[in-house]
This record gives sequence, structure tokens and C-alpha cells, in this order.
Amino acid sequence: MESGIFRRNLVIGSVLALVFLIAAIVSFFWTPYDVTQLDIANKLKKPNAEYWFGTDHFGRDIFSMIMVGARTSIAVAIVAVGIGLLIGVPLGLTAAAWRHSLLDELIMRSNDLVFAFPALLIAIMITAVFGPGAVNAIIAIGIFNIPVFARLTRGAALSLWTRDYILAARTAGKKSFRISLEHILPNILNLLIVQGTIQFSLGILAEAGLSYVGLGAQPPVPSWGRMLAESQTMISFAPHLALFPGFAILLTVLGLNLFGDGLRDLFDPRLRRESR
Amino acid sequence: MTLLKVENLQLSIYDNPVLHDIDFQVDAGQTLGIIGESGSGKSLSALSVMQLLPKGSKATGSILFDGEELLDKTEAQMCSLRGDDIGMVFQEPMTALNPVQTIGEQVAETVFIHQQVGRKAALEIAAQTLEHVELPNSEFPLSRYPHELSGGQRQRVVIAMAIALRPRLLIADEPTTALDVTTQAQILALLKRLTSEHNMALLLITHDLGVVADIADHMVILRHGTVVDSGETGTIFKALRHPYTKALYEASGHVPERSVKHMLPEVLLDVNAVSRDYRLPRSGLFSRPDSFRAVDQVSFVIHRGENVGLVGESGCGKSTLARAILGLEKLQEGSITINGEQVLADMQMPASLRRQVQVVFQDPYGSFNPRHKVKRLVGEPFYLLDSPPAGADYDMAVTEVLESVGLAASDADKYIHEFSGGQRQRIAIARALIIKPGLIVLDEPVSALDVSIRAQILDLLAALSAQFDLSYLFISHDLTVVRSVTDRVLVMKDGRIVEQGDTEDVFSNPQHAYTNNLLDSVPVLPGADNP
Amino acid sequence: MIRYVLKRLLSLIATLVVASVVIFVAIEVVPGDPASYMLGLNAAPDTVQALRDELGLNASKVTRYVNWVSGMLSGDFGTSYTYRTPVSEMITERIGISGPLAIYALLLSTLIAFPAGIIAATRRGSVADVSIMGATQLGVAIPNFWFAMLLVLFFSIQLRWFSAGGFPGWDQGLLAGLKALTLPAVALALPQASILARVMRSSLLDTLGEDFIRTARAKGLTTRQTLWRHALRNALIPVLTIIGLQFSFLLAGAIIIENVFFLPGLGRLIFQAISQRDLIVVESVVMLLVFAVVLVTFLVDVAYAVVDPRLRAR
Repeated sequence: MESGIFRRNLVIGSVLALVFLIAAIVSFFWTPYDVTQLDIANKLKKPNAEYWFGTDHFGRDIFSMIMVGARTSIAVAIVAVGIGLLIGVPLGLTAAAWRHSLLDELIMRSNDLVFAFPALLIAIMITAVFGPGAVNAIIAIGIFNIPVFARLTRGAALSLWTRDYILAARTAGKKSFRISLEHILPNILNLLIVQGTIQFSLGILAEAGLSYVGLGAQPPVPSWGRMLAESQTMISFAPHLALFPGFAILLTVLGLNLFGDGLRDLFDPRLRRESR
Repeated sequence: MTLLKVENLQLSIYDNPVLHDIDFQVDAGQTLGIIGESGSGKSLSALSVMQLLPKGSKATGSILFDGEELLDKTEAQMCSLRGDDIGMVFQEPMTALNPVQTIGEQVAETVFIHQQVGRKAALEIAAQTLEHVELPNSEFPLSRYPHELSGGQRQRVVIAMAIALRPRLLIADEPTTALDVTTQAQILALLKRLTSEHNMALLLITHDLGVVADIADHMVILRHGTVVDSGETGTIFKALRHPYTKALYEASGHVPERSVKHMLPEVLLDVNAVSRDYRLPRSGLFSRPDSFRAVDQVSFVIHRGENVGLVGESGCGKSTLARAILGLEKLQEGSITINGEQVLADMQMPASLRRQVQVVFQDPYGSFNPRHKVKRLVGEPFYLLDSPPAGADYDMAVTEVLESVGLAASDADKYIHEFSGGQRQRIAIARALIIKPGLIVLDEPVSALDVSIRAQILDLLAALSAQFDLSYLFISHDLTVVRSVTDRVLVMKDGRIVEQGDTEDVFSNPQHAYTNNLLDSVPVLPGADNP
Repeated sequence: MIRYVLKRLLSLIATLVVASVVIFVAIEVVPGDPASYMLGLNAAPDTVQALRDELGLNASKVTRYVNWVSGMLSGDFGTSYTYRTPVSEMITERIGISGPLAIYALLLSTLIAFPAGIIAATRRGSVADVSIMGATQLGVAIPNFWFAMLLVLFFSIQLRWFSAGGFPGWDQGLLAGLKALTLPAVALALPQASILARVMRSSLLDTLGEDFIRTARAKGLTTRQTLWRHALRNALIPVLTIIGLQFSFLLAGAIIIENVFFLPGLGRLIFQAISQRDLIVVESVVMLLVFAVVLVTFLVDVAYAVVDPRLRAR
């Protein structure tokens, strides 16, 4: 019975995530309306057949803006996860390969240091120094992702390093670097993929938060967070401005989380055995 | 008087039948041994009596305890029975205790959930019970936490919890399997004493025929969820009337057929005054880290074709010594010479030496990268060669070595999860053989296997040694196995070799007190009339 | 135990020192001179020089770092470039809102998550479990500031139970203050409670599968007794980590939520300071928040040792 739920998670999750991914890709070629074109005559329209999600105070089509906003969110989150993976995983593998060495200590202590700065604080500092923008949001979220992946990788790799097959590889004369690539990395890949989808969804939430307070993507680039910020003063008479971007974030993140859960259950043989 | 009578017990888990028609009974003051290999259903039989079965289980038949049907009891009734009238001891003492509670609290808990006594009175009973299981309060106050105790001491605490209220039935599920042989002997002696002092019935579940032979009055032998043989212990061993009993008995004491000593005079491995230190974690930020000498000035030689045993209890340094010989860790003192080439302290072992030594580990499940095919797994040591075979040569080498350990060439394209424990151990041997080393270090190679599989692997090892003039360093805590397969034996204690000599000499006439103690602790199989 | 706490304390101080250097260097990189910014474009060069002297901007970087840190240690956070008032005064005033908000939210989150996680774990696979897990799935996915807007839309605009924002001040009475913080705290707490409930559930499920739980059952404990006497305390260990981590998320989240409810807390202060390039305020508030996060991590570590005797020995 439980395995049914797992598969349902995977299907619903991937469908939701795919919808937004496709919307983002399609928005490069086509949107129902031009999101840079102001049309004051049609401002603050409620959702109707012409404007599916209504229009904002400048008469822009909300549906089109959400499509383009998906692009911003997904791009920021993907790059931020990429930064975390590309820097964090090698750091974690290194720390585990030379565990309890000074290098390990140094890597892990720097990770703790980064953890003392929540992503938003990093973003605030970067913004204070370089000014706001999508790139700075990416860097802020990316920096925060590094220790997440480094810790996960080190922890998982450490338990693998005690396995007998690693000892066997060492008796075959293989060095730490080669063992990390041949034996450790392939065996923690599942874990990294699952954590990757979780960080991806957290990245989308973080980007929305940063844009909401004006530290993320700047106008005229549409973003879900800023759409919500702009809707706030009009929420009492035009709630649709706040509802649609919010649901877009909610559903994307929900989709990614369900997808991640489904993947983990698919990968985890312990759960699979239990569900039989 | 019959205390426990199990009749026609059947058990299914999620409609999957696992026990078919189990019958046994035990009288007060008597010990019943339940024997079986893994998957025989011996633990589930015990858990059925406790009614602590896994989710989805359904038991039918009859379990009469003191004339009352346990299968008809409610959960609440069973709760008041467990711990009070029936106590249970489990296999793994390291995880059987709550790590965040003191041993005193845990033993006292048995008392105050069953009796209307105050905390102080319960702790008083706990203190007496711990004394009773030979953990003196002066040395082991109630305020100790489990992590401060050794495995054997923890098992005593678990026993104390089970017997605090003097139950009439004690169930012990592999209570000594995770323990060293000397500790095993002490725990078995304790159980024996407790049953006779309190006229308690003991249900002892084990895979080890030697253990039951020592302590049980009656025994039942289970296989695939059915009782295949039962009776009075002495009679069973004398008669060996059931073929499975006989097979089990023979496998337990199996001595592989070994050709006359094929040992050559040439010295293959020379370990000379080797020491290995472990750095302990620093106690303070500025204090210098202390170190612990795990191997202390050890010297011995192995000749080509010679099988040498290394015995000792956990923590004696035998695995550390093995890792040094494999070149996995540098020496602090001394030297190792393999086939004339020497490696000194603080030196990395060069590939030319590594080529001479390969290894087989204990755990057939953790020894292989689950993501590689057998072909790649077995060929891993080729990395040590200057010009490893490629293409068709590689495949041929893999086929050849797989066939020499009794597997098929077609197994090369399978993944490791497709094999059983015994087959995996064959693959591990194939991996060690593929670059034709002179010496294979066998680190507890059969300890995780059932006795029948164990016998097959031992036969294979003996045959390979004769065929290729292979030398073995056979590391084991199991003295019976070491005695059956080695020419010479080293006895290790606290990082030192306390005795070495020809296996038969050492076993029949031990010189060192520790060796003597070890040998005395080994449970012995009684001789059968018709072997 | 004492040695363990001292070691943690030492690492707390080390983290703070490194963090302060990072923050100081980051802010140092900023182009532009605060003195000329404060005096405007038309200021005479010697007036700017005089102000630079007054602000201590002419000293070497090392001296300025030392002055900054020693100032903070004695409660002097410097003078705001824009308002010309002591930063410490501005911070004390704002912390009276942000601090209670974060703690309020943490309490709410824990009070919701613990029962939810325990019920879900002990009735695994039941309707209760499935609904709790479904709800947490939503809770984890919802952006807290949007959830805050929905709360305003429903409870303030539709039902008019709460005001849509602002803060009356603690001098208007504890109740009025708490009431103004309730919607923000709920908005902050629910997503965190969802995460915590999930962690609680999985940790408890893991613990319930341990050998010592079976031992306890063999002693005659009922499932309920086993849960309360053995499982919970062990399951708490990973949950504590998450509570510690959540505090930093709550602080960061509070900065955003304050914007939704127009609460004059540290979050509003920091955004004003950024837009006015009042860097000394940014520097001090960031340092303060980092201090709070590191302090909570330390407290969690100490709590670990209280729960788990194995750590005390180290």
C-alpha cells in the first residue's frame, strides 16, 4: 500500500514541477501578452476569458508574468544548487578522505561559520556591498548551499569509508582521490540527487523571499516574489494579484518536494523492503 | 512439571508462512536449546512466546504457559506477564540498553512497573540484582551509563533486567553470539547458575551446537520453520539419527581434507618487531594527543604454502596487525619483509610488495561496491600490476579465477546483490586470487556464514592453498576453525603474541595461561557414537 | 561535562571572532565615503575631513576593527551615519519586537510540531498520520510571507479580528503587544512547525525500531510506556539540532515578515539602513544576528549533553 503512495508522490511531483519548467521554457518564445508592455486601460482586471489570471495595476497580464517569473525562479535556484554541488561535494569528499586531519577540521569549521549566516543575512551583506540583483541573490543562496552539501557528503562518505570494499580497493593500491571518485561518489549520488531537489525547492522559496524584500531580481525582470510585494498594498481590493504568484510558488515547491520524497523512497532499499 | 508447552504453532507474516507446526516444551529448572541456522525460525518461535512479533504476524496453535493459553491473552495481560513471569535476553548487548538512562534506572524499571514499590525500594532491588549477576555495586554503581560498560558487562545488565523479579521462564536469544569466547563462557555459566538457583526454565536459542551441548537438557533442531529433530541432548548427540542433525553436527566440527604438509622452506612473510600506535582523540585543546599501542613488538614468519592462524579476542590488535601487513597503515617500529623486499617504519608500502598480499574480509555483504559488476569487482587488484590485462585477456583471467572458486564464467556480468553470502565469499576469494599473490590475509572469513556454508568455504580454501602453494594468515576468534585449517598458530593478547607454535602442539599442550583460558572457554561438541 | 561546555564556548568565541572579521572586511569593500554621503554633494572638503576624524574613519583598518569590536563589547555600536544617534539605542528599541517575535514563533512551532510528529509516528499509516504528513507537505512548501499576506487577507481584512499591521508598543500592555505579534508569529511558525513535525516523526520512527525498545517491551512495558519512558528522549537528539537551525531561519524569516506587517523591528531597520547606505547600522545588526545564531547553536550543544550522557564524557 505504501509503495503506491510513493509512486503517487513521484508522479504528482514530477507533473507539477514539469508544468512550471515547461512554462518557463515556453516563455522564452511565447507568452499570451508582452510583459513589458503597459496597458493602463486594462489595469486591475479580474480573471476572465481574455486575461486568465487578470491584470496588474499597470495592465500587464498576470498569467504571462507568472510564466516569465518561473524562468527567474528556476534559473536562480538551479544555479544556486549548482554552486552548492560543485563546491560543496568536493569539499565534503576531501574532508572525508582525509578525515580528522587539519584539512578536514578547516573545511568543517568554515562550514559551521557559513551556517552562522542565514542565507538572508548573506544576501543582505552582498546587497549592502554590491547592490541588489538576481546575480547577488544566486550567490547568496549558492553560498548557503555549500555547507549543506559539504556536510551531507562528508557524513555519507565517512560511513562508506569504513566499508570493507573500500579496504579492498586500498589493498589494490588505490589512493584516496581515485577511491572517492570510483567508490564513494557513485554510492552517494542518490543522496545528492534527493538533497538537490530539496535545495532546489528551498532555493525557489529563498529567491521569492529576497525578491519580495527587493534584494532579488530587479525591475523590469518579472519575479514571483516582487509580484507579491507589489500586490500587497492592493490586497484588499485586488486579492487575485496576491493569489496567483503565491500559488505558483507553493505548487512548484510542493511539486519538487513530492518529487524528492518519491525519489528517496525509490532509492532507499530499506523503505522498499518495508513496503512489500 | 511442564512450564511451557508449545503445540502445533504456526506463524505467518503478511500471509507468508514462516513457522509450520512447531512443538516443544520445557520444565521448571530445565534448559531447552533451540538450534537452527539463519532463517530457521528459531528467533520467531521465541518471540511468539513473548507475543512480541513483528507487525503483520499471525500465530495459531497453542502456547501454554503454566497451563494458560498465551495466544488468547490480551496485550495488557501479556504486559503484566512479560518481565514478571517471563524474562528475555537478546543477542546484541551493545544496542539492547537505552543509551540515555543509567543501568540502575533500567533494572529498577522492571521492578516498579510490575510491583507497587517506591523508587527507592526498586533501586534497592536493582542493586541486589546487579550484584547477583556479578556486577558488584562497588565497581558498577547504579549511576553508570551503558556506554561505560563492555559488551559482556552490558549483557549482564540485560540479564539483570530479565531476572530482577525471578521469572519462571527465561528466554535467551543468541545471548553470547556477539561476545568473545571467554566472556561467552562466563555468561553461559551465569545463566546456568541462575536457572538452578531459582528453579527457572531457560529457553536458549543459538546456532552453535557446542553452546547447547554444554548447557541444555533437551534440544530441538529447527529448519525452514519446522522441527526436524528433538530430544534429550545427550541422546541426540549420540544417535545423530536425523540426517540434518548429522549434517549440522559434521559441519560444526568440519575438518577440511588437507594434503600432507605442502609447506616449502622458503620464508614468504617476515614480520619483525612491528609496532602500531593509534592516536587517541586529544583530551584538551592544548594537550598533546596520547597514543595507544595496538600492536607491540610483534615478530613471526610465514613460509610459502603455510597456513598460519592468528587468534585472540576483540581488541587484542589482530585486525590492526593485518592492516599493517596489507600496507593500509604505516608501521611505527619494525619491518615487514615480503618475498625478500622490505618495508620499514614510516614508509608507504610500494606496489611491488602489495602485489604479494591480498585479503578476504568477514562480511560478505559489505565487501563489494554494490554498483559494480562482478567482472569489475574481481579485477580490481589488477590496478597493482604495471601492465594489467585488457580486453579478451582480462575477461579470460576473470573467467579462470571465477571457475577456480567454483563459480561460472557467466557470473561475471551479474551484480553482487544477486549472490548469497557463501557465493559472495567465493567472489571475495576470487578477487584475492586474481593477481596470484603469495599470501592471502583471511580476516574472519567464515564467521558470518552458517555452519554448512562455512564447511564448503573451508574446503575451498584448503584446496586452493594446495593447488597454488598459497600461504594464509587466518585471523579468527573461532578456535575450532583455526585448529581445523592451520599448520601453525599465533595467540595474541593486548597487542603482543603470547604464544606461537604448531597448531596441534599449542592446542593440545598450551604453554601460556591465556591460551589455556581461551581453550577452556571453547564450547565442546561431544563425541558421537557413530560419526 | 564542564570540559565539554568549555570546549563549545571556545568554539563559540572563535566563530564570533572570524564572523566579525568577515563582516568588517565585507563592509570595508563598499565603495563610497560615508562622511561625504552624510554631508551631501556640496560639502566642503575640510568639513568632510573633520567628520571623517570624528567618525574615526581616518584611522588604520586594524585600529578601526579593534575599535569596532571593543566598542560592541562595551555596548557601544557607534553612531548612525544618517540619524546621528547611537546605533545601540536604535537596536535596543527594535530588538524588543524582533526578539519576542522569534521566540513566540519558536514556541508555537514546537508546541504544534511535537504532538503532530508523535501522533504521526505512533499511528503510522493511519488516517491521522496521512493527514498530518499531507498538511506538513503543504506547510513546508508555502512561502511564509505569502502565508502572512493570506492571514492578513482573512483575519484582518475579512474578519477584522486583528489589525493588518503595525505595533502599538509594549507600553500599551502585554496583551496588546502579543496580539499584534500573533499573526506574524503564526506565519513564521507554521512552515517551521511542518519541518519540525516531519523530523520528529522520522526520528521517533527510527528510535522505535531500536533494540532497546524491544528490551523495554520484554520488561513488560506497554507501547505507551515505552514511548514516554524510552523513545522520546532518544528521539529528541536530532530534533534539537533542527530546533537550533530553525532559530536562524526564524530570525531571517522575521526580517521578511516584519515587512509584511509593518513591524518596526530589526528587519525594517536593516532595510532602511541599506537604502540609506547607513553601513555602520547594517554591520552592527548583522553581527548581532550572527551572535544570536551562534549563541543558540551553543545552547543546543549544551542541551545535547544534558540529554545524551555519551557526550558528557567528551
